[in-house]
Amino acid sequence: MDQDELLENEKIEKILSPHPLSFIGLQSLCIFLIVWGVLIGWLANFSELKNLFAGDWIVILAWGLVLLIVGIIASLITIRWRIFFLYLGVFVCGIGIMFWIGAFDSAGIFIPFYMVAISIIGFLIVELYRRSHKYIISNHRIIFKGGVITKEERTLRYDKITDINSKQGILGQIFGFGTIIPISQSGFGLGNDNSFAAGGVQVGEKKVKFLGLFGGGKGVQTPRTRSYYELHGVHPYKQIKKIVENLVQGNVITPYQQEQVTFQKEQVDIQKQMRDLLKKQNRQNEKEQEIEEKTT
Amino acid sequence: MAGSPIDIIVFAPLAPIFGVILFWFIQLLFIENQKYLLTKIRDNHEPLCRFTNFLGILFQTICHALGYTVTKSGISSFYISVNYGKVAPKKEKKGVFEWISNAFLFIGPFFIPATLLLICLFFLMDKGFYIVSTTSYTFSENLTAFGINLYYFSEGFIGFLSNIDLLHPAHLGFFILLIFFGMGTRPSFIGEKKREKVDMLFDLKNIRYNILHRPLYIFILFLIAYVLSYISLLLNQNWYVALFSILGWLSIIAIISLIVSHMIIILIRLTDEIPGLWKFLPYITIPVSYLSMRTLFFIYPSSFSKWVSILVTIISTVLVVLLLLKYRTNKFKTKVGIKSLMKLGKGEKDGSR
Repeated sequence: MDQDELLENEKIEKILSPHPLSFIGLQSLCIFLIVWGVLIGWLANFSELKNLFAGDWIVILAWGLVLLIVGIIASLITIRWRIFFLYLGVFVCGIGIMFWIGAFDSAGIFIPFYMVAISIIGFLIVELYRRSHKYIISNHRIIFKGGVITKEERTLRYDKITDINSKQGILGQIFGFGTIIPISQSGFGLGNDNSFAAGGVQVGEKKVKFLGLFGGGKGVQTPRTRSYYELHGVHPYKQIKKIVENLVQGNVITPYQQEQVTFQKEQVDIQKQMRDLLKKQNRQNEKEQEIEEKTT
Repeated sequence: MAGSPIDIIVFAPLAPIFGVILFWFIQLLFIENQKYLLTKIRDNHEPLCRFTNFLGILFQTICHALGYTVTKSGISSFYISVNYGKVAPKKEKKGVFEWISNAFLFIGPFFIPATLLLICLFFLMDKGFYIVSTTSYTFSENLTAFGINLYYFSEGFIGFLSNIDLLHPAHLGFFILLIFFGMGTRPSFIGEKKREKVDMLFDLKNIRYNILHRPLYIFILFLIAYVLSYISLLLNQNWYVALFSILGWLSIIAIISLIVSHMIIILIRLTDEIPGLWKFLPYITIPVSYLSMRTLFFIYPSSFSKWVSILVTIISTVLVVLLLLKYRTNKFKTKVGIKSLMKLGKGEKDGSR
């Protein structure tokens, strides 16, 4: 961080980046591509079941089917359709390249190499994305920076933090990293978990039909935000958490301090009243003097 | 039936019990040794130790929950982390139920991981699941049958491991599970600080306590074993020995998985002494040597390709480690050779004379 970006009397406490394993969710998408690519290559070329994959179209069909089914399942679990579209893209690109280079006859050999290559690209993109994150903890504020192409930045002053949510998964517990979400007064750092259920009834067979739909939804507010608006997968988690909590605590007015502020305000009010009275008195004296001078 | 009635009625049922206890004790010794090795690498490999902790706690907590489920106590809370696991029952049951749930907690972690591996082995191993039939049901015959069952299984399992095809997804998966379960057969440490209550002596004290203070339950356990023995005797079926043989197989699986995890921990410990990037060379040697050998045997097919590949992998890794220790560390060498130092000493002595 440049010195120009720092405020007056601002001192940097820590500059952090997410742990390499903190984006395991994204990395696991690439791991699956490698595993499935190698497995389909093994099934088509070396396994006892290789006769089942005798036709090249069968290999392509099996490859695409599993890829898309896993994509749908993962998308439903994580409620992110981008996983499905990502795998669909991988499948379509693969078909396109095979068509372009005429590798349909050797799909059993092409697919494993293609999948490994795509996974390596995937890993590199995830790593690039991880490295784009930068969290600067200073004595005045937390600066969150992120984004590969579009740069995002968030500045959060400690006195604006109302709540701190922190979480550590099993991998985080093993490797000592975790995520800290500072929630601001404006509610920045909060997301929603929504669930919806609906049902439909159709009555009647030939002409007269009644259609009824009924449903309901539930929502719960939960600490959730983008990885560049939170301290995502920071290491060492416990130490960072303590630093942030201490800094937030240092910027919160305690009841005693609040009493002092009220007392000081009262004092200032009294002093203002005294000043006004003195001014009045002076004016009165001046008027009296003027009258005396006129009379003499 | 050639054996004496006293032998058949009183002593014969004890034979497989003693056998299982012996193997269980060996398993405990390996676990203790693994804990010792883990303490030696803990400073440099905290995440690995936390991972083994987690595996151990996971198995133990599952067993605890299983115990409460079997005894119908119910589970009110289930908590698991890297350092700590806790299962609380809905209803606190006393007596036999408490004893059974404690037994699950106590014995479960020794056998549950091995049971999972045994299930995998049923699908992967083509020989070894052999049960010897008995005719006279004496102590010696039961013990011999138990030993033979274990021998056949060990032979099959070691044969499978030495011929394991690491390019076969199922075999590779099994091998990874074997390593993981070996590391988590029993928690090495619970919590960030070492607790004495999870060592072997604590286990033995626990056994002693249960024997001395709860003799009725031990008596019931033996009674069940004896009843089972008599039933199999009356039906002229060797179910009794077969049942204990399965427990013996589980112990053998656990011991072998512990040996494999020992080898890995020793490799980690040795590579820690190698400075710089050289320490990664042994880890690179493992896949490189294995894949090279498999490629070689793919070009020149042979019936012994798998076990030779594994042997070459082990030998090349050991050689690389030894060479690195010799040339990259101060191990196995002195600045001046001992022989030349001796010659130098002799020369000085001669010169002074």
